[in-house]
Amino acid sequence: MESIITQFLNGFSVVAILMIAAVGLAVIFGVAGVINMAHGEFIMVGAYTAAVVGQLGGNTFIAIPVAFLVVALLGLVVERSIIQWIYDRPLETLLATWGVGIILQVVMKLIFGPELYYVGAPKILDGGFRTIGLLPFPWYRLFLIVIAIIIMIITYFVLFRSDLGLKVRAVRRNRTMAGCLGIDTAKVDMIIFAFGSGLAGVAGAVLAPIKSVSTTMGFPYAVDSFMVLVLGGVGSLWGVVAGSGLIGEAETILSFIYNSVIGKLLVFIFIVLAIRVFPKGLFGYHERT
Amino acid sequence: MVQNRQVYKAPMFPLWAVIAAVGIVLAIATYPFYGAAYVTSLLGKFLCFSIFALSIDLIWGFTGILSLGQGVYFGIGAYFTALSLKINYAAVNPTRYGGTIPDFMEWNGLTELPGFMVPLQNLPFAIIAGLFFATLLAFIFGVITFKRHIYGVYCAVITLAESLILQEAIIEYQAYTGGFNGITDYGTHAQINVLWLILVVTIIFFIIGRILTHSRIGTILKSIRDNDTRAEFMGYNVANYRIFVFCVSSFMAATAGAMYAAWNGIISFLDAGPVFSIEGVIWTAVGGRGTIIGPFIGAFLVKGSEYFLSGKLAWTWQLIMGALFIFVVLVMRDGIVGTIGKWWSARKKRISN
Repeated sequence: MESIITQFLNGFSVVAILMIAAVGLAVIFGVAGVINMAHGEFIMVGAYTAAVVGQLGGNTFIAIPVAFLVVALLGLVVERSIIQWIYDRPLETLLATWGVGIILQVVMKLIFGPELYYVGAPKILDGGFRTIGLLPFPWYRLFLIVIAIIIMIITYFVLFRSDLGLKVRAVRRNRTMAGCLGIDTAKVDMIIFAFGSGLAGVAGAVLAPIKSVSTTMGFPYAVDSFMVLVLGGVGSLWGVVAGSGLIGEAETILSFIYNSVIGKLLVFIFIVLAIRVFPKGLFGYHERT
Repeated sequence: MVQNRQVYKAPMFPLWAVIAAVGIVLAIATYPFYGAAYVTSLLGKFLCFSIFALSIDLIWGFTGILSLGQGVYFGIGAYFTALSLKINYAAVNPTRYGGTIPDFMEWNGLTELPGFMVPLQNLPFAIIAGLFFATLLAFIFGVITFKRHIYGVYCAVITLAESLILQEAIIEYQAYTGGFNGITDYGTHAQINVLWLILVVTIIFFIIGRILTHSRIGTILKSIRDNDTRAEFMGYNVANYRIFVFCVSSFMAATAGAMYAAWNGIISFLDAGPVFSIEGVIWTAVGGRGTIIGPFIGAFLVKGSEYFLSGKLAWTWQLIMGALFIFVVLVMRDGIVGTIGKWWSARKKRISN
């Protein structure tokens, strides 16, 4: 029982990672209605940015804003060059962004070579504290949880307490009407895509110290983020919180009891059954058309 | 009183298409007699791939369901067949350690065939079981999702996760599936009879595909693709049509997988994974979705150029592949066949004017 509690606490860091990885995707999908299949590769680029920052003498705290800017810029380029033409064809956006993902993987491999990069955690976050269980709880995991909460709060303020957020929500509610009222919907899409991509970059930067950085590291996170969206829905940020919370905790505990594959399989079955009951996710946004 | 309306309907099998098809089929069927063995082995593979692409075309090109996990059904068909072949092969060809069970089972500490695999010793049973399970899985999946109006992006993402999980399960349970190494060394089945079998099955499936999409059902499927709400208001049970075509498609994919396993002589978790599934989508898109012959052309072209280019330039091929995804979506939406067809009809219109 004690070990289950330890796993439950460990699960919170998995939840935090899921939240950080999924929130960028959720913002984009919620507003523009497209899923960015290159999301995992954006995370990967963020992680490489952190690796470069690390080699230049910086640490994770510096890497976070740098990765945000780098990947937001990348997202801007991808949006302007490709995605802006295909917003009305969401299925084909999947394919085009998958192509973007492949290209990013090849390019990063050409630049950084096939070897793995290791990024150290900041010195003050070394070590950990003891909880109920036998295993220490590392400070870095606590840091992840804090970062996840901060990111959610920032996203909340951007979407619900700012001028831009008002426009974004107007576009989400009724794109045509928002356009008629003088909102530049294409610009809103562009900004929100860059913002969501930047969040993916942050995810990469904070993931780098707990994962070896490689060109293929992103894809599993992308798929997990998709599942968070499907389960949680994109109606509000609570969808991301609930989706990551359920998936992260269930997967950690089930993986501990059985093994990781059965854990994933059970979670997957649970998600499919859950959307049978809530087709738009737990916090789905119900459109009035 | 029902009135008979006269509507122009394209013939089911136009004469020129039949003549061209007979020519291609004859060329492929006789190729092993005069061609290189390497190309022959590629031909068999590509035929399987083109069935796989056709199965994606049926659900995506004609019905508008994008599945990014079609490899699941291909993989199920392939693994059932390969396991059966391997078990039979190991029974008469003892491994290095003298056992009569597949080598990957021995490496993982099994001493005899696990009980649930005993029925797989019978090859026809194994093939039928593989096809049955694939179709059953598609049916269950379809009932759960399509009945609740879950499709589009959600369906694509869920199927993607499905194939990722199957891939991980294959790697994890290596005692039963060969794990990371896949299943190898189960005798050679790349004989000319097998090629002919694959060819016949391909022909049958393409004819079925043409009949299915050129009939009344096909018209309903296309109307579901173009506007499912209207199709529903017309009184058609959209969910049931979706489930039906999804099952047909998964059956085709599983058959392709079963034949691929026999022909290729090696299969791995990659043949059930998301990357393979999405590649299949791109073959369809390149050839021309919403056409029956498009997947065939797309699979041969893309896979063919991969085999002839990637030997020298592995990473360039990946780059080309990535660019192809973007190109097909942005520029050439209708694929090769669709573009030619549009050009042809525009030309006819110009001439008649």
